[in-house]
Amino acid sequence: MNETIVVSGMGIITGLGYGKEATITALRSKRSGIGKMHYLNTIHADYPVGEVKMSDEKMREFLGIPADKIITRTPLLGIMAIKEAIKEAQLEEKRPRRIAFINGTTVGGMEKSEQYYPEFVNTEAYIAAHDCGTSCEAIAETFEGFDLITTISTACSSAANAIILGANLLKTGRVDAAVVGGTECLSKFHLNGFSTLMILDKEACKPFDANRVGLNLGEGAAYLVLEKQSDAKRRGITPLCKLSGYANTCDAFHQTASSPDGQGAYLAMRDALEDAKLKPEDIDYINAHGTGTQNNDVSEGMAIVRIFNENIPPVSSTKSFTGHTTSAAGSVESVISILALQHDFIPANLNFTTPMPELSFTPVKDNVTKKLHHVLSNSFGFGGNDSACIFSKIE
Amino acid sequence: MNIYIQAAAQISAQEPMGNAWFQRPLRFTERYVRSIDPNFKEYINPMEARRMGKILKRALATSLEVVRKTGIDHPDAIITGTGLGCIENTEKFLTAMVRDGEMYLQPTYFMQSTHNTISSQIALHLKCNKYNTTYAQRGISFESSLLDAYMQFELGKIKSALVAGHDEMTPDYFVLLDKINYWKKGEVNEAVLRKSDSLGSFAGEASSCFMLENKKTDLTICELKGVDLFFNPSPLRMKEAIEELLSKHNLHINDIDVVLTGINGDKDNDVVYHQFQQHFFPETPMAWYKHLFGESFTATGLATYIAATAIQKQILPVDYLYNRTSTLNGLKKILIYNHFQNKDHALILLSSC
Repeated sequence: MNETIVVSGMGIITGLGYGKEATITALRSKRSGIGKMHYLNTIHADYPVGEVKMSDEKMREFLGIPADKIITRTPLLGIMAIKEAIKEAQLEEKRPRRIAFINGTTVGGMEKSEQYYPEFVNTEAYIAAHDCGTSCEAIAETFEGFDLITTISTACSSAANAIILGANLLKTGRVDAAVVGGTECLSKFHLNGFSTLMILDKEACKPFDANRVGLNLGEGAAYLVLEKQSDAKRRGITPLCKLSGYANTCDAFHQTASSPDGQGAYLAMRDALEDAKLKPEDIDYINAHGTGTQNNDVSEGMAIVRIFNENIPPVSSTKSFTGHTTSAAGSVESVISILALQHDFIPANLNFTTPMPELSFTPVKDNVTKKLHHVLSNSFGFGGNDSACIFSKIE
Repeated sequence: MNIYIQAAAQISAQEPMGNAWFQRPLRFTERYVRSIDPNFKEYINPMEARRMGKILKRALATSLEVVRKTGIDHPDAIITGTGLGCIENTEKFLTAMVRDGEMYLQPTYFMQSTHNTISSQIALHLKCNKYNTTYAQRGISFESSLLDAYMQFELGKIKSALVAGHDEMTPDYFVLLDKINYWKKGEVNEAVLRKSDSLGSFAGEASSCFMLENKKTDLTICELKGVDLFFNPSPLRMKEAIEELLSKHNLHINDIDVVLTGINGDKDNDVVYHQFQQHFFPETPMAWYKHLFGESFTATGLATYIAATAIQKQILPVDYLYNRTSTLNGLKKILIYNHFQNKDHALILLSSC
């Protein structure tokens, strides 16, 4: 039960582009994917977003999905990302016996529901596509052979919790591989929701900056293929890294706000370190949740200070590149964390100028080249659903 | 490793909280049956309840009931399954957004619209900082939650878990699902459901909550032996899974006293249960419960409640038996089999202890 869990493949699609190559290229060149809205039809088009620059039709065409098939944007993004992950892990060629698919989403088919609500005239078929589980099934059905599927919906930490469930499925021997992550498209529903909470920035977001105003929404999908190290070896796959520890805790402070001392975030990081049997000083880089809201960044920042004290490793929020991809953020940022590990490279926290008075650290302003061994990725959600995952180089 | 159900609570079409109804359940003839709510004031401060939708009140009341019964006020995990989440709040925000063209919106309904509102409100109320998550996989959302807890017990990560299944059915969602044949078009009664010659069932609501623990106490209702999920399983895969589940506990097919199924009167749904029975448990009594509760994404939570109660009381009244006319006594092992649209399938095995 204590066998090492490794990542043997991954896939990603965000405002930075489709695939790992496009992602690392954008990160290296400090080219943000946040910009003007093209596909979402809303009166709030002046909010900058991290939109995936492909229409539904374009994705359907790329994936060979006929125009009459009922499918929404959330699973389309998911299918794009899962294809890359499955290919890299060679799940088709060197098939593990039982494979799980664990998907994180909250929006589900909302982007179509809000177009056809309340009557769904001549579009009844989209009624069944509304719930989160349908998105999971639509993605699962594109790959022959998932033995077990389920959906996690813990808002913005959904994908991180999918990683955790996948690891537990492997450790208990229920499956031999688990494809885990999340997908979420932009919807008017959550754009308006975040707008009413007054946590959206009309300009590019500034995580961990004293003058931060709020977040930019993003969309995307990302998946990791997890398996036991011995199974990867048996299949002849060279893993990308280890998933060395993880934890899920609850802030239990407020439905949508984080506690001032970041108790949930603190416990998630502390327990993930303990699970990984690592000390704070072993962490070489923190890919922060860092939404750019007043509340998150001070809460997460305080929690980081409490864990790491004087020795705070480089911290950056790559939401300044992708926007906040909500339910997909946990896996989008896990993929970015793993790319950082692979390339010994710390992506910059864009748009930072002024240190926060509350914090003893500032985020990484520019790309850094540094030998990385252990990377911590934080994912926090509404309701205080806080999770942390640690990825480590196999050495 | 053993996992025990220490306490259970439900709010459904039957009398809420207690199980006095168990041997004389109510029957329905409507297409849409809403749950009978308890007096929430007994559980929740009215100030707090005022801001909560129905599903949250039910979730909190059932949680507090199992907390009260067991004294476990900081469970190591809080896990909720919900097919639709806080759909009432989702609809309120969506309706206002569509009606007013994205103008004049208030955040309240949005804040409590996400699926994870339920688990997090329970944690908030209990001030519990531990593991907290939410599953939303259509008809197997509850089983997904149970599986998560089961594995964490197995891995020694937790000693207690509050596991729940909650779904409400709003009038608007009832109408939408009616358009895609979720509900029968005419009057519904037991004879119609039993006949199972048309599409659809009748709509119900389900709230159930369980406190699980790794030690047996005076409170223990029954033991949770296993839970498994399957996606599009072949008959061979199902056979393999049943054999694995039974052999893991040194059991034989004949040791299963009854199979509790999700037969609901929908012909496409029910045929899958009949095939399951014929293939794997041809001699075993078959039971049903949805004719007494209606269909809901997390109805299996109620099935678990019924099976646990039947084991505790050592009786399964004829009201629940599909193909027998006399009460079952001396029950030791109940297998709950559930599928959703013949895609998602799940098994739960409960045992006396």
